[in-house]
Amino acid sequence: MTVHHKIRKFFFPSLTPKFLIRVSLIALSAYLFFGYLCIPFTIQGISMEPTYHNRGVNFCWRLRYLFSEPKRHDVVTVRFAGNKVMLLKRVVAREGEQVEFRDGKLFVDGKEIEEPYVLYPCDWNLPPRQVEEDHIYVVGDNRNMPIENHHFGQTTKNRIMGVPLW
Amino acid sequence: MVKIKYLLIGLVMVIIGIVVAITLFPSEEKRVKKQFHLLSEWVSKSTEENAFTMLQRMKDIGSLFDAQCELKVPDQSLSGTYTREEISTYAGSARSHASQLDLKFYDFDIGFPEKGMAKVTLTARLTGRSTTGEQTDDTRELECVLKKIENKWLFSQIEVVEVLKK
Repeated sequence: MTVHHKIRKFFFPSLTPKFLIRVSLIALSAYLFFGYLCIPFTIQGISMEPTYHNRGVNFCWRLRYLFSEPKRHDVVTVRFAGNKVMLLKRVVAREGEQVEFRDGKLFVDGKEIEEPYVLYPCDWNLPPRQVEEDHIYVVGDNRNMPIENHHFGQTTKNRIMGVPLW
Repeated sequence: MVKIKYLLIGLVMVIIGIVVAITLFPSEEKRVKKQFHLLSEWVSKSTEENAFTMLQRMKDIGSLFDAQCELKVPDQSLSGTYTREEISTYAGSARSHASQLDLKFYDFDIGFPEKGMAKVTLTARLTGRSTTGEQTDDTRELECVLKKIENKWLFSQIEVVEVLKK
């Protein structure tokens, strides 16, 4: 078979039943993979700057916590009613721990936590609060804004959809 | 060959019939969704909107609500039962502070717990710009109850679900 024929066959294949089954299987696999396991998303907003930038593209890997629990410093996606709109946040505390902010510094159970990913100045003050059972506490990396304007706090673990792929 | 031709014509006619039936007699779920699409359309605002359109939109928004509607929006200090007129006035006032608004709904989960009642969980995203030039971007999970009154689905309860608790 000449190269010309091979190219033509690649771009204009004959519609045999075998070919149609193959195409259907690929389409179904892609739908299931990108619809349920590795969901593409666009970052909108600056709450995770400078780690994740506004308008960045990423994928939410849903199997990350199949056999494990989210750990402190993990970046996770938090769902609302479904997976069309999600929040991208960082886990700072787990259930039973006590979280507080003093002059922009994070304290968990009274101990200051090193956060190398927080690069912008922060002056937050938040009185201590306990993370409830089956919850985790998430915050964005960009805390260079009034505390009232930043969407953060504790959420149930079942709202964690997965992690960004990169 | 003739048989196949008639079979194809029959198939096309069945498809057309189904499409016409769906369009003319939409399911209750579609009718509920339509109310959300109308709310989204009427709350959204373009920079060119004139005073007449603004008044009309206020009236339109009110027409989507039951005579008495329960609102639970803690962030906006909107908690309690409001009349259709009060909601309409509040919506008009809120819209007048924005030069541009875009309300979108995602991830509908519609259930009918009893006859004439629909319970809808969804994600609402409001983006826009205030008259002072400030950018708005707010996403919330909502739980809404709609009641079928005089063959029309009307909002009778809207509650903001707390996804992140500070």
